[in-house]
Order: sequence, then structure tokens, then C-alpha cells
Amino acid sequence: MRKVLFLGLLFLGGNLWARPVNENLEYAGYLKTEFWLKNYNDESHLSLSSFKNTFDLEVEYKLSENWAFFFHPRFFYDFAYDLREDFNSNFDRNQFKMGHTQRTEWLRDCYLDFTSDKLDIRIGKQQVVWGQADGLPFLDRVMPFDLSYYWLYDFADIRIPLWMIKVEYSPELNSTLQFLLIPDFEASRSAPAYAPFAFKANNDWYDFKTSYNPLLTIYRPPKQFENSRVGLRWRSILGNDIEYTLNWLYGYSTSAYTYTDSYASLQFSRRHKLMHMIGFSFNKSFVEPGLLEGWTIRGEFAYFHNEPTYYGTDGYRRRTERTDKYTYVLGFDKTFFTNWVFSLQFAQFIHDKKTFGGYQLLNTYTYGLLEKVENYLTLKVSTDFMHERLKPEVLIIYNDDNDGRISFKAKYELRDNFWLTLGYHHFWGPLGGSNGQFRNNDHLVLEAKYTF
Amino acid sequence: MRWLFIFAGCLLLNLGVFAEKLEYHKVYTPQEGMSAEEIMKIMYHNKYSLFARDYQQTGEVLYVDPSGFTRKRVWKRQRIVKAGQEGISYKDLVVMTYPTELKGLAVLTWTYEDPQKDQNVWLWIPSLKKVRKISASEDDDAFMGSDFTVEEVSTRRFEDESYKLIGSKNFPGYKFEHTGEVKFKDKPCFVVECTPLKPHWYYSKRIVWIDKDTGGNIFEEYYDKNGKLFKTLFREWVWTDLGDKKYPSQISLECKDLRTNHRTVILMEDTKYDQDLSEYDFTVKALMRSRW
Repeated sequence: MRKVLFLGLLFLGGNLWARPVNENLEYAGYLKTEFWLKNYNDESHLSLSSFKNTFDLEVEYKLSENWAFFFHPRFFYDFAYDLREDFNSNFDRNQFKMGHTQRTEWLRDCYLDFTSDKLDIRIGKQQVVWGQADGLPFLDRVMPFDLSYYWLYDFADIRIPLWMIKVEYSPELNSTLQFLLIPDFEASRSAPAYAPFAFKANNDWYDFKTSYNPLLTIYRPPKQFENSRVGLRWRSILGNDIEYTLNWLYGYSTSAYTYTDSYASLQFSRRHKLMHMIGFSFNKSFVEPGLLEGWTIRGEFAYFHNEPTYYGTDGYRRRTERTDKYTYVLGFDKTFFTNWVFSLQFAQFIHDKKTFGGYQLLNTYTYGLLEKVENYLTLKVSTDFMHERLKPEVLIIYNDDNDGRISFKAKYELRDNFWLTLGYHHFWGPLGGSNGQFRNNDHLVLEAKYTF
Repeated sequence: MRWLFIFAGCLLLNLGVFAEKLEYHKVYTPQEGMSAEEIMKIMYHNKYSLFARDYQQTGEVLYVDPSGFTRKRVWKRQRIVKAGQEGISYKDLVVMTYPTELKGLAVLTWTYEDPQKDQNVWLWIPSLKKVRKISASEDDDAFMGSDFTVEEVSTRRFEDESYKLIGSKNFPGYKFEHTGEVKFKDKPCFVVECTPLKPHWYYSKRIVWIDKDTGGNIFEEYYDKNGKLFKTLFREWVWTDLGDKKYPSQISLECKDLRTNHRTVILMEDTKYDQDLSEYDFTVKALMRSRW
């Protein structure tokens, strides 16, 4: 019955609400249906991975010239779990976590905004984004992530919003000091075992749990003021040309790390640890005539101090130790052939220690072996046809272990308020690689979106 | 006789000014006897609203295909004229408000005085909730997918072409397809032939009709390398009365691609000048305020 009501709201909503109320109240939203079809059938699940229906509404109310309130709920229901319940597979058991909106996730934004020339304050549930990279969250670590669909959704939909205070003070025109106080805590999430994009480590743990019945204790930092995460970012422009930021973040890691408390009694725990992140980013567009004219170069660097890291043998975690990591990315963007935008990135992920106590460095997602320095190349190409009615783009992510993915997406505007999207995600690489773990998991994505 | 000398003196003084750069925050209109270069300098001065201190307006783009099927975009635009401070001519902020799929997409552009310098461009991308510095669009790319190119709307400069004055003529009138109205019939105009300095450009020449009253480029004909007309561009220029002064403004544009019969209409309304906009609204911080 609840599903019927939900569907009714979805389809009536567009007509009921598509009218402005007054000049201070503005709203927008969408109804979206998406099908995720798995290309390779294997034992774990059949071809329909997701039949997700989403209702999204954004409301802005301007209280005065300087004050505004923003509210953004979103609900979804995935019918794939209902359609496939007769198969009684592991896939279906995940309905409780993947089949519909969880807990407070329905509230994407809810904040009060004060804006003025020198001072902006945003209080409430929101997202804060740092960094210059595309698709590589090196400096973009303020928010926890929901990786239920790996990194395949837009980042704004992957980040988990938090209740926080953001203060931006501009002592001069193009310079801003941002201060973040985040008393709220949410852990980053991944897909439960045997969901379409469950990490290999999660599946392995599930199998281990089923066979040996270990004891797992989850420790989360209590939501107390003294456990608040804090962040600072200074952003400025050097001589009208080079924009840069200096970033610092301190607090409990949003990712939980697995620890072995006792091998003998099979006691394990998942813990969040205090850590520092220090970094910087920059960008520069070459606007003067010359060889580099038209290029934009951007980059970011992040240093993580005391981040828990897994060590073990291939496929098996043995130790979790706190180490330091360094990451950087350099991006090069340019438009060629009138309207083909090319964006190339080179990134390195450098670990402080390749071995610990005789064990090898491991991939967090898969427990596959990692090198001390992991290299990544990404290329995004986008263009448009038919007066921007058809917008195709392709993203290639490649790791030097021959691990990678190609994601293709083409968006078509049927009407101003009706958009269709066709996408395809292809993965390859070793089973222990971040993308390779999904090498038997290519997906075709079809999406229809009605906006109001 | 005395009046004749005064008139001649004024004219020479005026021409002296035109030989140099036009001053910001002043309104110029073309005069009889001016060269093609002087007329075009005034046209560019007016096109980019350099006479004002700032302006804001709402714009609507209609993409009309040959069958009549129409798509729409709506934006809000603000501009602050920096008048050469720190080498910047003006700063623009354009925020999309319709359709919902594009709502919130915002572009901050700094345009420099030096005609050799490209614009600096920042983009707020709602799907990432992030500001990205981007490379300036190619000048011959379609402006927002329309029949206008980027340079026709925002990047073409006086220095990009050479000019030849064809003469003074009365404009034969333009049938504005959006409303069916015939506009500007018999309006006195200067007709200027403009040839791009870039080799192998998307047009070989254009014929521009400059309204003697407002100095606006009310009609343009684009010719390909074979000398064939392939595109027309109409702009409706009017005077906006601010009480103590009046400014030339564009209120509607129509661009027709004669090869595809596709056309783009731009309608502008709620144009306000000299509202004392804050330069803080033209910063990356202001872009990041976007809630959509």
C-alpha cells in the first residue's frame, strides 16, 4: 500500500507543485526512473540490478536580501528487489539497505543561509566540496561517501550531507577563509555483500561470517561536540591568474577500518580514527596568446597523517596500521575541434610504507595487493550535437595495474522538462583491483527524468 | 558662421576621442562623417554596455527547429564594468534558472581590456556542487547550443576584423519571425563590411547594419568562403530611459541559419542599469553560494 501511495505522489506531484507560490519562494524537482541492467550473468544476480524511482524536491525561501532557507528532500524506491524476490538470492536480502531510502538520508539539504559581501554563514545539513580533481576524491574528503553504486553516480549524489556550520570570511575581494565545524557524524557507506556493486572485501567478509560466525563490534565516535570535525580553507588568487587553496581537516575519519581484536576468539571491530589531512589545490587558465593558450591546468595535493591502512597477503587482511599517505593529481583541460572538451588527469597515490611486519600493502576495497605508488590516468571527453540537445561524454579511468573502467553517457533532451539518458559502464582489471573486482559486472543504464 | 566653427570643433574633438579608446561610462552614438572603424568602436562599446557601471537582466533563449518545435532556456545575467581596473574590462555572472535540469548552472567570466587575452571562466556545476575553472569556449562554438556563436554573443572584439564603410542606407525592415512583426523599416543606418582577420574562419565577411540612432548593430548577414549568405542575425536596439540619462539596450535577437532553417530567438527583459552591484557578487565565493 505504501508503495502505491508513493507512486501516486510521484506521478501527481509534478502537476500539483509546478506553480510558483510567490517571488520569495522558489522550487524545483524531478521524478526519475532508472534501470540498471547487468551485462554479464553470473551466479550472484541476474540481469536487472536496479529499477530505481526517485522523487526529488528543492525549495528555497528568501527571508530577506541576506537570509534564505533551503530545503531538499529526496526519496527513492527500488522495485528490482520486489521483481526479483522469487529468486531468493543474496541480492534480495539487500532490500533493507538498498531498496529504499534509509533513516535520515531523505534529507539532502536543510540549511539557513546568511550572505553578505564579506561574510557568508551556512548553518544546517549541507555538502562542502574541496579540490580540483574530477572523479578522484583526494582533497574532497570533508563529506563521507555513499559508494553503494561505487563511484558511478554524480559526486553530488555520492556525498552524504552533514549538519554543520560553514563560515566564509573575505578579508579582501578574491580571498576567502572558510571555517567548518562539523558536530554531525556519518560513516561512509559501501554496498552490502552481494549487492550489484558490493566490494570484494564485503563479499569475502560475508562468506567468512557465514562460515565462522565471528564477533564484530562497530565503534562510532559519539555525536558529542568535542568529537566535532574541524576544517579550514584559505582560497585566493595570485595576480588575477593563479587561483589556489590551502586546506586543513582534522577529526574522525569518515571511513571505518577493520581491526582484528582477537584471532583466537574471532573478535573483530570496525573503528573510525582521528586523522589529519593537509593539502592545497590550484588552477590556472592560459589566457595569453602562445603555445598554452586555451589550456587550463589544475591540481591538488593531500597529505593524510595517521590514516589506518591494511596490510596482509593477497586477498587476506592481517593487520591494520596507521600510516601516512600522499596523493596528488594534475589536470589538463582544453577544447578542441570547436566543441570537444578534453580533460586529462594524472594522479599518484603514495603510501608511506609498502610493508608492515612482513605483510604487504592492501587495497581497502578488495584486499588485493597494492604498490607503494599507485598511478592513475583519467580522460574525459564531452561534446554536444543538435543544438546541445544530445550530449555524449566518455570517462576513462586507468590504473597502472591495468585496472580501469570506461563509462559512457549520452543525455538527450526530449522536452524542456523531459530528459533521457543512456549509459554504459565497462570494467576491467585483476580481481584485486578497485575496478577489476567488477570485471564481470558491466552495466547498461537507462534513465528517464521528468523535471518540474 | 560661429556655430559652424563650434560644430566643426566639436566634431574634431569627437573624432580625436574616437582615434583613441572610447571612455567607459559614457554613451556614444555614431555621427555622419565617421569612419567605419569609429562606427564599429561605438557599436562594440554599446554591445558590451561599457557605458554603464553595471547592469542586470533576465534572458530567454528559444531554439526553434524547422518543424516549429521549441526548447527554452532562461537565465539571469549581471555585469559589472571594471573600466580597465587591474586590466579587467568587465565581469559577468550568468545563472541558469530554466529548465530545471540546468537550473543553478552558473558561469562567472572576467573579460580583459587586452584584446589578445582570452576570458577567465569559472563554472558552478550543480551535479558536482563544485566550481571548476574551465577553458574559454572556442569562439566559433555555438553559444549554449544556439545558432549564435560564442564570439557573436560575447567574445568578438573590435580588433578581430577589418572594416569598410559601404555607405548610409535605410534599413529595408526585418520580419521578426517570433512575433511576425516587421521591425525597423526605413531606419537610417550605416552599412559596414567586416572581414575577419583570422584565416579560414567560419565566415568570410559579414555585412552589418548599424542604427544611426542607437549605434546598435541591428542586422548582420554572414557569408561563407564561396560568398554565399548562410546566416542572418537581427538585434532589436532601443533606448532605455533612466530619467536623467538614457542607454542603448538590446531587447530581442533572432539568428537564422539558412542552411538548416533552424533559428534562435533571445528575448531580454527586466534590464536595469547602474544598480550599484557589489563586485563581491562577481567572485568565486559568490558562485559557491549557489544552492541548486
